Amino acid sequence: MKVGIIGAGTMGNAHAKGWQKSGAEFVGVSAKNKESAKQLAETYGIKAYDNHQDLLEAVDIIDLCVPSDLHKDMVLEAARAKKHIICEKPIALTLEDAEAMIAACNKAGVRLFIAMVVRFFPQYRAAKAAIDAGQLGELGVIRLKRIGYQPLGDEAWFTDDKRSGGMIVDLMLHDLDYARSIAGEVKRVYAKSIRSTVNDAPGDYALITLGFESGAMALIEGGWAYPPGFFRTGIDIAGSEGLIEWQSDDSQTIKPFLKPQERTKVARVGIPSSSIAEDPYVTEIKHAYEAIRDNKPFLVSPEDGLEALRLALAAKESLKTGQVVFLGGN
Amino acid sequence: MRLGIMSFAHVHADGFLQILRKLQDVEFVGFSDTDKEQGKFFAELYGVPWFSSHEELLDQKLEGVVICSENANHLADVKLAAAAGVHILCEKPIATTLEDGLAIKEEIDKAGIKFMTAFPMRFDPSIVALKEMIERGDLGKIYAINGINHSEIPRRHRSWFADKKLAGGGAVMDHTVHLLDLYRWLLDSEASDLYAEVANPFTPDAEIDTAGLVTLSFANGVFASIDCSWSRPEAVYPRWGHLKMEVIGEQGAIAVDAFNQYLNYYSKQNSRQANWLGWGSDSSTAMVQEFINSIKEDRDPSIGWKDGFEALKVALACYDAAKAKQVVKL
Ligand SMILES: NC(=O)c1ccc[n+]([C@@H]2O[C@H](COP(=O)([O-])OP(=O)(O)OC[C@H]3O[C@@H](n4cnc5c(N)ncnc54)[C@H](O)[C@@H]3O)[C@@H](O)[C@H]2O)c1
Repeated sequence: MKVGIIGAGTMGNAHAKGWQKSGAEFVGVSAKNKESAKQLAETYGIKAYDNHQDLLEAVDIIDLCVPSDLHKDMVLEAARAKKHIICEKPIALTLEDAEAMIAACNKAGVRLFIAMVVRFFPQYRAAKAAIDAGQLGELGVIRLKRIGYQPLGDEAWFTDDKRSGGMIVDLMLHDLDYARSIAGEVKRVYAKSIRSTVNDAPGDYALITLGFESGAMALIEGGWAYPPGFFRTGIDIAGSEGLIEWQSDDSQTIKPFLKPQERTKVARVGIPSSSIAEDPYVTEIKHAYEAIRDNKPFLVSPEDGLEALRLALAAKESLKTGQVVFLGGN
Repeated sequence: MRLGIMSFAHVHADGFLQILRKLQDVEFVGFSDTDKEQGKFFAELYGVPWFSSHEELLDQKLEGVVICSENANHLADVKLAAAAGVHILCEKPIATTLEDGLAIKEEIDKAGIKFMTAFPMRFDPSIVALKEMIERGDLGKIYAINGINHSEIPRRHRSWFADKKLAGGGAVMDHTVHLLDLYRWLLDSEASDLYAEVANPFTPDAEIDTAGLVTLSFANGVFASIDCSWSRPEAVYPRWGHLKMEVIGEQGAIAVDAFNQYLNYYSKQNSRQANWLGWGSDSSTAMVQEFINSIKEDRDPSIGWKDGFEALKVALACYDAAKAKQVVKL
């Protein structure tokens, strides 16, 4: 099948690596930032399209790696063109938009894959596999941590809440989704957050408490709160029969001790890395491609993407009211 | 200085005994315990005098005692010590109800004795270093703190910890107080409201809370969380548990893992497969020394009744919030 990517920033490049290894026919890229599209096209020996409509026409699968506020319109456009769709997370910025996107894809008979990449990180998969096999018994307390630094995108869109949804929707969504994938539906959400008003200071940080229908509880910690270059993640899942602990600090198999870098040399977006044979973004793209090609289910459904967004928005609601937010009518 | 231990009910009694025997300027007089079996057992184990009534111990011209009884019995023991005019170092939580906590205050004021709450972590070198860094302004303005005080359920060592009547509660009662006290001390501010999830997922055969996630707001605008769960698998985890915190501020973050100084020890003889043998500093000795110094110098100990009472207030409010599923004002 023929594939093209719209958006040639951090994620466009991460996905391109996956498409190159997927067995799909990677034909082209298009981006508002023509220079970034040209560079990506050169790297992969594919065509840079001047406008994304032409690219859309040329492919069977379109991969949307554009800022989050554009997901909705581009998914609807691709569905109208009857193309299968890979779309970066968050699925959208509102539940209404997400529902409309899912409905449009269903109606058009095209597949929609929301790229929730944490589901493809091997340590998260291994933990989920142990839990699903009953090795932890009933889950009790789940702690998930994800703290990086302020991401940079074209047009500074990450720090514009209207475009990215803010740190909770952009970043903490990953762990909200993961928590739900291991512990089921959430009944209660309570959140606290801080956003620095100091120029140039890090400091966008939140703590979200979840109460699950199962009786389990979770603390999701997220932030763009470290100086550039630092990114730490962690898992601590305690059940009636066992415990899983993991911290990104512990499992680095290669540790550079180099001179500190300037902001311009640090990756635009902090992405948790580990020395692993296959980049999880490649695993993700291969999975999505094979599921579309062979008409198999995705490991993470668009509805999962929608529910993760529901949790993130509930956390934001809790921040606004200062109260516990109840889901699913108490 | 003649010192003794009132009751050997608390797991920390053993540690206090070792400290009191080792300190140069202390004459360890012995311990009292009305439980004959327990008294005889520990007297023989350590080769120290045992008194079968607290009155008998208090008759030995003591200057101070460490109260190591069950939480619910603290008030009764405080009354005896106060009547004898003996200064008190009291295990935490200082009581199981606010009424008892206030009654303790009345007793010590009436008798004019010193009362210190046993919060050893204030003397931990990494916590002291953290306090210095905060005061020096390394972090700039403080935004949030995420703290963990995990352990296994302590019932194997002393069964009353899992008895609600004697302990006043489980994990929340046992562990919220330590971090809360550190937060008050580090921030120099009082908690203004909190929300908590509380449950018993880990030890269904014990009728007590074994899990808790608390989110607090402080009067100075900082928010913080406490994971007080007894979530480390009983008799399996390489150590009793740990105390960790990460402080987020304007200039980045500082992470503390207070018990991170240990040897990995693997033994064929031990019931546990792997053990962490701590080699870090002993903060309890420094705490006992402060108690002794306060008596010698006839001044208030650095951690007083109010510190114990504020911590108790918060621990009790956690249960209220969890029951009401609402944010509780303090
Ligand atoms: N899963 C992850 O780990 C992860 C990490 C970062 C970003 N993301 C997601 O990926 C998406 C893209 O983020 P990014 O970091 O790559 O952003 P970026 O700013 O680096 O790149 C965005 C790209 O989209 C292009 N673009 C912008 N507006 C366009 C338009 N109207 N038409 C065509 N192209 C347009 C830009 O020219 C640029 O090439 C976002 O939804 C973000 O949430 C996911």
